[in-house]
Amino acid sequence: MGEDNKTINRRCFLRDSLWGASLVGLGMVAGAAARKHKKTDLIWQIDPYLCTSCTNCATYCVLEESAVKCVQVYAICGYCDFCPGYFELGASVLEPGAENELCPTGAITRTFVEEPYYEYTIDESLCIGCAKCVKGCAAFGNGSLFLQVRHDRCLNCNECAIAMACPSGAFKRVPADQPYLLKGESHA
Amino acid sequence: MMRFAQIITGIALALISCGLVWSAERFPPPDFESGHEMPSPTTPHPRQDIYEYIDVVVLLAALGLASYLVLKKRSRRAIFALTVFSLLYFGFWREGCVCPIGGTQNIVLSIFDAEYVVPITVAAFFLLPLVFTLFFGRTFCAAVCPLGAVQDLVLCRPVAVPSWAESGLRLLAYVYLGAAVLFAATGSAFIICRYDPFISIFRLTGDLNILILGACLLLIGVFVGRPYCRFICPYGVVLRQLSRLSRRRVTITPDECIQCKLCEESCPFGAIKKPAAKWSDQDYGIAKKRLGFFLLILPVLVLLGGWAGSSLKAVAARAHETVRLAERIYLEETGEVTETTDASAAFRATGKEIEELYADASSIRAQFGFGGWFFGGFAGLVIGLKLIGLSVWRQRTDYEADRASCLACGRCFEYCPREHVRLEQAKEVKT
Amino acid sequence: MDQITGKANTRLLVGILIGLAVMVAVMAVVRLDVIGRKGNGLGKGFKYDIEELTRVDPALIVYEESADAIETGLAATHGIAVDSKGFIYVAADRAVRIFSDRGVILGEIELAEPAGCLTVSTDGNLFVGFKDHVEIYDAQGQRQASWDSLGTNALLTSIAAQGDDVFVADAGNRVVIRYDVSGNVLGHIGKKDSFRNVPGFVIPSPYFDLVVSRDGLLRVVNPGRRRVEAYTFEGDIEFWWGVSSVDIEGFCGCCNPVNIAVLPDGGYVTCEKGLVRVKVYDSEGQFAGVVAGPSQLVREGECRVCDLPEECQAGGFDVAVDAAGRVFVLDTIRNNVRIFTKIEGR
Repeated sequence: MGEDNKTINRRCFLRDSLWGASLVGLGMVAGAAARKHKKTDLIWQIDPYLCTSCTNCATYCVLEESAVKCVQVYAICGYCDFCPGYFELGASVLEPGAENELCPTGAITRTFVEEPYYEYTIDESLCIGCAKCVKGCAAFGNGSLFLQVRHDRCLNCNECAIAMACPSGAFKRVPADQPYLLKGESHA
Repeated sequence: MMRFAQIITGIALALISCGLVWSAERFPPPDFESGHEMPSPTTPHPRQDIYEYIDVVVLLAALGLASYLVLKKRSRRAIFALTVFSLLYFGFWREGCVCPIGGTQNIVLSIFDAEYVVPITVAAFFLLPLVFTLFFGRTFCAAVCPLGAVQDLVLCRPVAVPSWAESGLRLLAYVYLGAAVLFAATGSAFIICRYDPFISIFRLTGDLNILILGACLLLIGVFVGRPYCRFICPYGVVLRQLSRLSRRRVTITPDECIQCKLCEESCPFGAIKKPAAKWSDQDYGIAKKRLGFFLLILPVLVLLGGWAGSSLKAVAARAHETVRLAERIYLEETGEVTETTDASAAFRATGKEIEELYADASSIRAQFGFGGWFFGGFAGLVIGLKLIGLSVWRQRTDYEADRASCLACGRCFEYCPREHVRLEQAKEVKT
Repeated sequence: MDQITGKANTRLLVGILIGLAVMVAVMAVVRLDVIGRKGNGLGKGFKYDIEELTRVDPALIVYEESADAIETGLAATHGIAVDSKGFIYVAADRAVRIFSDRGVILGEIELAEPAGCLTVSTDGNLFVGFKDHVEIYDAQGQRQASWDSLGTNALLTSIAAQGDDVFVADAGNRVVIRYDVSGNVLGHIGKKDSFRNVPGFVIPSPYFDLVVSRDGLLRVVNPGRRRVEAYTFEGDIEFWWGVSSVDIEGFCGCCNPVNIAVLPDGGYVTCEKGLVRVKVYDSEGQFAGVVAGPSQLVREGECRVCDLPEECQAGGFDVAVDAAGRVFVLDTIRNNVRIFTKIEGR
């Protein structure tokens, strides 16, 4: 019987020390995390300077309608009458209409400002993030149209499905208090 | 006063950010004679951080409540209600991310990647269930985890899984954990998130294949209790080990076991251990020899596993985009393929050196080679220890819940006659 | 007995069901494409495809590449000029380099800031346009003068010298400034003025070029209107030419041509971005042929990853012409100079 007690005591001791060690281990993980912690959450964003407008954003998002949409930075836009992001290159007349417009979903609106300037605005409810206009604007214009993750839609998956399918490594995690990487704004 | 200070900071921030825009902007936009004001791009804000903190508080509360319900209240009905709440809150409302299971990878990545920093809420999500398990057993699995909850709800016609199959299939979870750590540590992928079977169900949207995977697991879950938790969940592997050491534990009976065998078939997860008689001398002899043999081959298994894991490096490394890109560029450079891919075209446009890419890829492959030893060694160790466990006799006089496997769901409580006595007594005291 | 077989049957059924579910689940895992292998799966309408438009009818090409390209060895080139002796000057971020027409480096002038444009006067002085001011260097590379800044909005993109006059194109302020050789401002040309019928320059992107033509008038590109306008030195607009079209004889996109040069016979060489085309027009502005098309000038599918908005426009190439009529095209992507000569008989 004494023998048994000894075994049980030994077992208890072993268990207790393992328990203590586990707790210390978890404490160390917590400490390590706290030492270089970030208060804000990290969220996904596209670096417009690395994006190659490959169109994967439109279909690889876990959302039925992608969280990535086209953004217009007006300060870079040339307000062109012939916007190469709005019109088909071969458009014969500079008037709205499916045969002249580049956007397959008609998500860009063109409003007259004053001679000869026009303002182009993205209708996000129609934009699917295919980046067709981004290509036109980058090739001929100023590159004021580009893709961004829209954070009113993004679910912030732990592993972003689009980031995994991105061919140019343009997706990065940014702090939630600076959620956008807009062209023209300085960023690292 | 607070409000005033906020407004001032807001204005100051707005001015600073304006300054940044204009200093980086070299080409001035047209100045409009009509006085047209140029709009700013809209920047809808992400989910406020405050919600993340609320999530942590809810997690803490749910864990506390679950532990109370399992250990003190012993009410299956209340546990079930909490399960439903967790499914609704952590599953459907919060839409699944970040969960403690996936959080494992964030923690691992932050250890191996100096630049990656775990947000404090993710760390809390990972750690809280572990700490609770050390004190109270797997109460997280019982009623807090949304993945467990969704499976628990579909379990209608439980069938018993033979113990050999149970043990064998459980190895999957260990291998999955090892692989998840390896891929996260090398910065290649978060495979736990990628193959999370229920996330699409929580979000009601997602890749069709993942929806199918989730549906299949739920279909299996109708008959086999919580298949993901028992055979796949990598976080469950950690919880199992910590649960073995927990201060408090789930007991089938509230006080003493009367050996009535009524609870024998009550657990759908095969976590109830029957009393074990002492082995006969003959059996004991065989087991002793077997134990000796297994102890001897344990290092062999570890080394063999490590070698196998390491030799998989070329294949495994392809999970990393840099390695995939380098292999593609190599094929293009050697003329084996003529077409470029989006990725190779994007790489060439950057004008970076190909040799540099190759070097990066080799260093990642080397990481996989090195990590593969640990991964394979871990798998070998797990198999070895499992074999050893078979040859060790543990005395058991009562029916009791297996510390590691018990998911603390509380189904067995009502099978115990002593529990009914307790409830009666409680009722009497009340009246 | 029946009950037992019934039970066994149910177990079998459940087993088969689970087996099937496992198989389907494994298939789903295997089929899941996470790395973009399958592409985006969108139809043709979502593809930005201008490949068809990059094709140029070979019969229209009247020039051929006559020598190896000159590798400038510079990092970010912006402008090119050729002097009366046939020396080639290339302006870049940190230096101006001078080459012989065989590509031998004859000299280099180091600069503190990026040079956007340059020209060589008949007496051999080099006028270099920086972001907001002009500097003059002598043939030995010594700085002779540095003119006053034109303000923070200024962005000089072209410069031309003719006798005592120096014309500077300021894309930022959308105006041409007329200087004398000592740097005194004599006047502004091209500000919108309905009284003088001056339409104003529409410059959506930082490309704005000018040349002094053989007929003594100034030719200024109005890129936003896709045409070349002729001005007197006093700022009166005389006429313009150029049509907005994706066809080979027109200028396409939002802002083209980006650069222009005068041929010895009074014709013009134009350079477009987007669809990178170098073309020849006669002195009247009638399309006369193609020097080189997109397929000769940029590699197919070449995309450029840029750092600043104004760098994002791939193919803002520059052109210069020497006394013999050879066309020098500065490739600002690969930072080299391509030399084209007219094909005899065409």
